[in-house]
Amino acid sequence: MLRFDFLEARNLRHAIALLQRHGNDSRVVAGSTDFLVRWRQGFWRPAAVVNLKGIASLGRISFSPRNGLRLGALATVQSVESNAHIRRRYQALATGATSFAGVQVRNLATIGGNVCNASPAGDTLPALLAFDAQCTIAGPQGTRTLPLTEFFLGPGRTALEQGEVLTQLTLPAPMPRTGSLYIKHSPRGAMDIATVGVASVVTLEEDGRTCRDARIALGAVGPTPFRATEAENLLRGRTLTPGLLGQAAQAAEAAAKPIDDVRGSAGYRRAMVEALTTRTLQHALQMASGRAVTFEEQRRLAVQTAF
Amino acid sequence: MNKQPLAITVNGHERQIFVAPYYSLLDTLRDELRLTGTKKGCDEGDCGACTVILDGKPVTSCLVLAMSAQGSDVTTVEGLATPDALHPVQQAFIERGGLQCGYCTPGLIMAAVGLLQDNPRPSAEEVKFAIGGNLCRCTGYTKVVEAILLAADRMASQC
Amino acid sequence: MATFKVLEQNNPRVDAWEKVTGRATYAGDVYLPGMLMCKTLGSSRSHARIVSIDTSRAQALPGVRAVITGVDFPEIRFGSGALKDRYIMARDKVYYIGEPVAAVAAEDEITAEEALALIDVQYEDLEPVVDPLTALRAGSPSVHPDLESYEGYGFTIEGGNICTLLDADRGDVEQAFQDADHVFEDTFRSQGINQGFLEPMACVANVEANGRLTVWASTQGPYQVRAQLASVLDMPLSNIKVIPMELGGGFGAKLRLAFEAFPSLLSMKTGSPVKLINNREEVFTQNGPRHPVTNYLKTGVNKDGTIVSREAYTIFDVGAYLGAGPNSGIGHGLGAYDIPNFRLRSYAAYTNKVYVGSYRASGVADMTFAVESHMDMIAHNLGMDPLDFRLKNAIKEGDTAVNGSRVPRNGLFECLAAVKERLGLPRELPEGHGVGIALCEWRSGTGPSTASISVNEDGTVSLLTGSVDISGSDTSLASIAAESLGIAMDQVIVARRDTDLAPFTGPSGGSRIVYSQGKAVELAAEDARNKLLALAADRLGVPQDALACADGSVYVQDNPPQSLTLGQLAAMSVTSRSGPIVGNASLSTLPYAPVFSAQAAEVQVDRDTGQVKLTRYVQCQDVGVAINPMAVEGQLEGGAVQGIGRALTEDMQFDPETGAVRNPSFASYLMPLALDLPELETLLVRVPSEDGPFGARAVAEPPGFGPPAAIANAIYDAVGVRIRELPLSGERVLAALRGEGNDVAYIGDELQELKRAEGLAV
Repeated sequence: MLRFDFLEARNLRHAIALLQRHGNDSRVVAGSTDFLVRWRQGFWRPAAVVNLKGIASLGRISFSPRNGLRLGALATVQSVESNAHIRRRYQALATGATSFAGVQVRNLATIGGNVCNASPAGDTLPALLAFDAQCTIAGPQGTRTLPLTEFFLGPGRTALEQGEVLTQLTLPAPMPRTGSLYIKHSPRGAMDIATVGVASVVTLEEDGRTCRDARIALGAVGPTPFRATEAENLLRGRTLTPGLLGQAAQAAEAAAKPIDDVRGSAGYRRAMVEALTTRTLQHALQMASGRAVTFEEQRRLAVQTAF
Repeated sequence: MNKQPLAITVNGHERQIFVAPYYSLLDTLRDELRLTGTKKGCDEGDCGACTVILDGKPVTSCLVLAMSAQGSDVTTVEGLATPDALHPVQQAFIERGGLQCGYCTPGLIMAAVGLLQDNPRPSAEEVKFAIGGNLCRCTGYTKVVEAILLAADRMASQC
Repeated sequence: MATFKVLEQNNPRVDAWEKVTGRATYAGDVYLPGMLMCKTLGSSRSHARIVSIDTSRAQALPGVRAVITGVDFPEIRFGSGALKDRYIMARDKVYYIGEPVAAVAAEDEITAEEALALIDVQYEDLEPVVDPLTALRAGSPSVHPDLESYEGYGFTIEGGNICTLLDADRGDVEQAFQDADHVFEDTFRSQGINQGFLEPMACVANVEANGRLTVWASTQGPYQVRAQLASVLDMPLSNIKVIPMELGGGFGAKLRLAFEAFPSLLSMKTGSPVKLINNREEVFTQNGPRHPVTNYLKTGVNKDGTIVSREAYTIFDVGAYLGAGPNSGIGHGLGAYDIPNFRLRSYAAYTNKVYVGSYRASGVADMTFAVESHMDMIAHNLGMDPLDFRLKNAIKEGDTAVNGSRVPRNGLFECLAAVKERLGLPRELPEGHGVGIALCEWRSGTGPSTASISVNEDGTVSLLTGSVDISGSDTSLASIAAESLGIAMDQVIVARRDTDLAPFTGPSGGSRIVYSQGKAVELAAEDARNKLLALAADRLGVPQDALACADGSVYVQDNPPQSLTLGQLAAMSVTSRSGPIVGNASLSTLPYAPVFSAQAAEVQVDRDTGQVKLTRYVQCQDVGVAINPMAVEGQLEGGAVQGIGRALTEDMQFDPETGAVRNPSFASYLMPLALDLPELETLLVRVPSEDGPFGARAVAEPPGFGPPAAIANAIYDAVGVRIRELPLSGERVLAALRGEGNDVAYIGDELQELKRAEGLAV
């Protein structure tokens, strides 16, 4: 049966109740940008969809230095891309969002949907991982939180249990002297699924040279997006020389476990991890050092229309 | 799965219709409302031919569940011109040769209208970015970009 | 340049208003009362015998009105040309994954889709062959074991799956190679390409009360669809009316019968109108794309840079059926050069993949990539400037073209000079940047063409042709009519046509509409004008040669106030002895009129990723006369961008085991987006053709030929690596930069086998 029923969730509690009632035969939709494609392709055949889009409270974005960034799961990718706080403090997330699909899809797709689809190539995911996002999950038993690093279990598989809904992502406020960038490797400047995506976040000590913290996350080179922790460990507490960035990039490459597919061979993907890790670190470092890079320039770097 | 009631404003007219729960906004516009100006090129969100303005923002209508647009406001390519005049974007597409086969044209025009609402004086790069989700196989985009910039100029000078 | 009143002006398209308002009606926009929706079931096997098809469960599904399979059609094979190698729907065998095996008509689309899932097809697998070089080898699994019995098969060379072998020879090629100072050999491979039209195949079929079949089609060739439909339905051609709707892009893919037979038969079975619209995956998997082509070139050159001999072997993959021929191999193996001795061969092999289709001068882009890359490599090897090497060997007026025609006056040298000047060649660019050129050749398309022009009583004219509008051809035809008759563009009404109404004409493709159909319009206008002049001469009492026709009137040249408007003359004609004024023209072929284009790309290569960024693209084409410069530029820009996609990102990938399309969507088949392109610089050269309307030449095809070679040559200039395989992806460029083998296999051994079979000395 191809047909499905459309169930409108009035509020979060109602959504959870609907999901419990319909069990595995139902799917959550919000932007429905992935859902409709996968349904038409025959991958997903639910008997009912539960629409969250009407729950306005889940779409908010707020920032405070104390609580960091709170992203309601229903915030559209476009609202993430254009949010002034995100552009200023979480550049890799803004560039991840801006390199995702095209304008029309970004106006529909939600950040929560991007996370819950758990595509290894999801464009916002490396940045969310690199900014230590925490997931808030509501379910029949109440609310729980989970680091995003533990949320992804495999392609399309997440830690969400029956009846649970991802409601919010929380990203701690970056420390001063932090810079970040996401670069997506893809043949075209828009619309593509990433061949490789790399997000790097660099925080410098007051001396402006020593690395206080570095976080690197990789997309499309494993069953889930993930943090390249060994590469990060090479950088913390050290002076960031070009040679050291190169070593970290090699460590990131060693951590990658890509596959061959229509978008590229495993070998090429590994090479791209090295190239893009170096590049994102270089730019993040410059931004952490105080170099102003306009959003337009970040966008060009992110989609590789500027080398 | 019986059809369900949907209240939606399309090109300024409030419509009360019944649609199948699995119907997209695109199929609803075309099959139920016979607004066939909005085109289906891929039904996967990859080509932009089905772009409409939904609650102020350009979206690919093939990826919108019609029922999720309950109470929404939709503008399609049929809603741009008045009986007396074309929309400046439409006029500029004609004058600059921004169309050939015409199949992608409604989607490109709606993406341009969406852009100019938010950014009345875009640069050429911003125009290209705004139509980055629209495929056109005939024009090579040069004249499309020129047309959108011309429309922006004219609209800005009217304000 | 002659002065024109209508031509050479940027007039808006005649269909622009409809298209920008969403009113233009494409086949999918046709809704009829009681209309059913059709969906087709594609084969899940590459090569298999159909043991049984059980449609009973699908038939029983509520809302399903009819289900058909191959045996519901007459047992008649058809083909794209003389060779009839194909049933419209699989009968006893399937030849590729996706091949239609059944179709359903149901009350709505979702019911039709649900019914497909209930059809049970039992297959007995046969061994498939996917690679064309393997297919050509003796002992390969045979795709069409009974090929020799097919109507129209005329090739007798022994070999696995040779569908067609075309050849062209001149001079003593072996001797010339022996005598040449240098001999260069290279193999090039181009990728599978999809035409990428935005409007999926669509049609509506309806059996009318009088028993005639009406088909609203998305087609470039309504008369071809009518003839082929009549053939596969075994029905008199006169029982079919094809209405070509607005065409949402075709580029060759919509020249012939596609799926129109399925809704037609379903309409005959149900008595209801039936609509079929492909989804994008079906477009990729069922509707003839272009397959990868291997081109082998061998060139003999003297020390001074004069080319003396060329051997070219094209290995062309037609997939399951000969949807389009390998003519490019013999037609374009020399490129735009005068080469006295040549041996050109085009082998077409059957494989178990979706059948090949036409696309914007099928195969010439593949061959241009090979020839123009090869030319660059030879120039570098000889230490010559690539542009000078081309100039030295370029074909000139009075030379004999590969097809045996004398080369008439043309603008080849002017095009090269214009590009050289625009870019300031030869030119040194910074590290990582490079410039490359390509010279492209084509001919103005010809074939049966007709036109009819009626003069209306208000002075307007109605233009009727059977040709479908592509890329603004209606606007061009209206411009030609207006120019000929001395009236304004808005005085020409372009009639909506169908196959009952309009006179027969060839399909809209191969760059033939403006050149040939335009000529028919010019002649029809001349005919109408002569009739207007004759009538005016009679009424004004002056000799006909004292009259002229301009600005909507016929007037006495020595006394312009003495005149009659076209409207007055049309009104008079109704009651005149000679009757209403209608101009007609009909022609078959026009003489050879070559078209040349010079193109140049500038690129920046990212040494870390291999990514190639196109930073500048310049093209210059000899268009004869620009019927509408804005439209001409638009065609050249669009064509170049298709070529840029072919050069850099587009790549239809086929599974090497099953032949299935691995990337059947716009998310994975990557056509250029606005963001990926520099501003295109388009230059026009105008050397009028001898026979085209007002001297016009074809425009559409050449712009797409140049980008692959121009960009490959620019990459070489930038970073010193030569890529012989398309697309010029980051992955390929990086592998070459790192010296890793990722290059095209030289096909010398396979050629030896082919030559031996041909009886040539090896």
